Amino acid sequence: MKIDPGGSDRRARVRISREEGSPVLSLVKNKHSRDIALQAVFVGGLAMMVIIFAITGKVNLEAQGLTSGFGFLEQSTGWRISFSLIEYSTSSPYWKAILVGLLNSLFLGAIALPLATVIGVAVGVMRTSGNGMAELLGTIFVEIFRNIPLILQLFFWYAILLSLPSPRDAEQLIGGIALTGRGIYLPGLNVTGESVFFAALALLIGLALTLWITNARRWRNLPLQTARRSRHLIWGVAAALAVICMGIGRIPDTTLLSIPVQKGLNIREGVRVSPELMACVIAIGIYGAAYIAEIVRAGFNAIPKGQGEAGYALGLSNWQIFSRIRLPLAVRIVMPTLINQYVWLFKATTIGIAVSFTDFFMVISTAINQSGQTLELIAILMGGFLIINYSIAWVLNRVNDAIKLKGTQLRI
Amino acid sequence: MTVVAISVNSMNKFYGGFHALKDINLEVARGEKVVICGPSGSGKSTLIRCFNRLEQHQSGSIEVMGTKLDDNVDHIDEIRREAGMVFQNFNLFPHMTILENCTLAPILVRKKSRQEAEKTAMQYLERVKIPDQAAKYPGQLSGGQQQRVAIARALCMAPEIMLFDEPTSALDPEMISEVLDVMIGLAHEGMTMVCVTHEMGFARQVADRVIFMAEGSIVEEAPPAEFFDSPKNERTRAFIGQVLGH
Amino acid sequence: MTVTVIPQDIFLGRIRRHYFSNWANTTVSVAFTVVSVWILWNLIEWAFFDAVFEPDQRQQCEAATGACWSVVTTRWRIVLFGLYPFEEQWRSALACLVMLVVAILSCVPFFWNAKRLPVLWLAGFVTFYVLMRGGVFGLTPVFEQKWGGLSLTIFIFAAVSLLGMPLSIVFALLRRSELPWISRTMALVIDTIRSLPLLSIMFTFAIVMPFVLPGWAIGDKLYRVIVGYALFFACYQAEIIRGGMQALPVGQEEAAKALGMSYWHRIGYIILPQAFRNALPPTINQFVITFKETSLVTIIGFFDVMASGRAASGTAEWSFAVIEMYVFVALIFFVFVFSLSRYGAYLEHRLDVGSR
Repeated sequence: MKIDPGGSDRRARVRISREEGSPVLSLVKNKHSRDIALQAVFVGGLAMMVIIFAITGKVNLEAQGLTSGFGFLEQSTGWRISFSLIEYSTSSPYWKAILVGLLNSLFLGAIALPLATVIGVAVGVMRTSGNGMAELLGTIFVEIFRNIPLILQLFFWYAILLSLPSPRDAEQLIGGIALTGRGIYLPGLNVTGESVFFAALALLIGLALTLWITNARRWRNLPLQTARRSRHLIWGVAAALAVICMGIGRIPDTTLLSIPVQKGLNIREGVRVSPELMACVIAIGIYGAAYIAEIVRAGFNAIPKGQGEAGYALGLSNWQIFSRIRLPLAVRIVMPTLINQYVWLFKATTIGIAVSFTDFFMVISTAINQSGQTLELIAILMGGFLIINYSIAWVLNRVNDAIKLKGTQLRI
Repeated sequence: MTVVAISVNSMNKFYGGFHALKDINLEVARGEKVVICGPSGSGKSTLIRCFNRLEQHQSGSIEVMGTKLDDNVDHIDEIRREAGMVFQNFNLFPHMTILENCTLAPILVRKKSRQEAEKTAMQYLERVKIPDQAAKYPGQLSGGQQQRVAIARALCMAPEIMLFDEPTSALDPEMISEVLDVMIGLAHEGMTMVCVTHEMGFARQVADRVIFMAEGSIVEEAPPAEFFDSPKNERTRAFIGQVLGH
Repeated sequence: MTVTVIPQDIFLGRIRRHYFSNWANTTVSVAFTVVSVWILWNLIEWAFFDAVFEPDQRQQCEAATGACWSVVTTRWRIVLFGLYPFEEQWRSALACLVMLVVAILSCVPFFWNAKRLPVLWLAGFVTFYVLMRGGVFGLTPVFEQKWGGLSLTIFIFAAVSLLGMPLSIVFALLRRSELPWISRTMALVIDTIRSLPLLSIMFTFAIVMPFVLPGWAIGDKLYRVIVGYALFFACYQAEIIRGGMQALPVGQEEAAKALGMSYWHRIGYIILPQAFRNALPPTINQFVITFKETSLVTIIGFFDVMASGRAASGTAEWSFAVIEMYVFVALIFFVFVFSLSRYGAYLEHRLDVGSR
């Protein structure tokens, strides 16, 4: 079939007459100016929406006679908070209440996320272990706890915890641990909350430094003796600091150890973990574990068989292949997904409001109810979550960048 | 009637700070077959991708079939209609059948009816010798067959110029000749062609002019006989020696 | 050292390999089996043998040691229909059935078409709304305040999906735009919304939005919450679609450009169909999560299926049987969510096989 090269004459003639069109038309047809116009329309549209919101908001606020601005943060709240890590009373100002809520959320996250990780990794390993029973149980665990909403699981655990026997009738286990409907009583130390926090911080920093020294590329060339000695030194200093902190924070006129003891209708002494907090920890821990188990399983499955085969060919044992080849590779593969999962899990701590655990969200919503400063408080809420989530993502992304497999020529 | 198919004047292209194409001056007449060759990184793919605005040039001018290639969207659309392109990786649409691949653009862009487009498509598929594969999907065809479909797809738009970007580089050796045969047939019918290729046999047989590019500039251009037998530039000689040496 | 060859294909051989191939495996298998059997036996005893099933058997329940399923058999209507008037509950049931049919039909490849799927969902949703709301065709009107239970959960889920999907496509296209102002602004918007907890977004739209919206835009609290949830859904789904688009070879769009196709033609015929194919498994996962998270509206004060369950068992006479009600509601969720995620796994397997 012949191609027709003469047909363009007609088109060429038509084209020439169109070239002399208006300058406005040429602007509209210009890709560059179109791009600019589109961007201006888009950004302008968004800005207009924001402005309308701001104006309407201002008008409504004035109509209700409320002042805008953050001055209310200095006023005292007048309401109680059931669980607080720092000192708080009904005369404390709003900003302190918000801080308490924030600390509670972080505290919940700090317990629930590691718990979810530990359980999740265990279940994930179970599912890829090759043992039929372990795989079956792991699958049942994941399917049950992934397919039921978190809030329902929270109510369920809360109901179970509340149905435990009352403090008077509860049996005490070793160390005075009592599982009651008013909470779990554990033996504790008579020290202030702040000192525990700083002690934990010292230990955490010690741990982080140790991990860094062991694994960082910068210290790769350190002679073994020096590395070991510096690790011991760091641990020693951290432990000493922790003990000193607790010593400073010791509450006077009390014994060091506080063991729960049944007295009359109640249990005295000891540390009480409220059922609200416990329910949140269990629910988020197990729900998160189900998701993390799936992620870990996908990570292990993504490791090419050849890696294990090379290990066998070198004569490594099963455990060595798992701990030194498959586990590190799995961690690197799933790190980005895990980061998303952690951010999402931290957001899930807002569920505390369902059982009246005074987390960040609940404090803000109570504050909105009580003070009416809706817009400012919502801004604080969103700002708080944005900062925390970006921080978590930033830290974990740094870790991810540090450990990820380098180079583009990888053939595994 | 325009005699010049593509006209490039003092064209420069930058990728950020990197000067990819340096002061290119080129003219391709209608009906002419031009082969562009050169070492990798010489900018030959970048050059022909500038012709249909898949890449944007920063200075100088490009005119295709009399239409200036600038920011005017009408001009860009016109040029893309008139210039057909065949890619190294075929780029057939995997979720459509072969026939649908060929009729999509004529229906949407040239506003042909489905009947008309299918008739034209079948004619071109027969031309490239695979009419029986019309109902299959690209994933079910061999590399050589896919590339021939890609050529037919471009031809269904009735272009004035055909641009080939290393059409046989991704093919197994035994399939190269079936694609080259189609390209030779096209050449003999008077189609204006600009090919970036390493196939020197094809260049010798079909090209009116061979252009050698290195490091973003045109180093030498000459008719094939002169180009292969008595290259003037040192670099050209080295390149020819490497390519024809095996 | 002798190597024990374990026969691969015989059934007993398979059991031996998976459960008892060496000491460690054997111990683990035995330990897990013992624990599981013990748990399972106690569970079955509680749930079936010692349980009370007939409705209105409160006294029997209190006397029994097993589960009190009577609370379910007596109060199931509240869980499914909320406070919907008794005579009209058939409409609510029919509406739920319609949505179920729509969901099942969506899995049939015949409807996997950019024209048919939206039409199907729109038709289903409109039918649902008409049946629930009434006011036309001789049906008595029942306002949104009376909607509750499973029907409310399904309504919220369907509305969020219907609103969120087109929005997510728009967001995804804006996000991948070549124009820097548009793509960066969109990236900021999407990342910000994704960083916020869903509960806070629902709360904001329910409580805060009336402050900043002009009067005509305020609307009913239910619809505000749906819009907020749809926005959240759209941001997550936009990232999923964008991932699907990024997995496409860049040559696809180049070939479409070279053929002279316009932007909308390229997006509609080449990019989106392939992107959706790539993004199908995560999309189904997103739908699963959306269905589960509708339970959060409980906190805002709506009577979805979970809140209705709590209300049904929250009365003084049934308050001891709260856990049984939770199990019932959990089962409802489990059935829906499990089937949807199984379907997603099946699709993923099918697409994998097809692309090989």
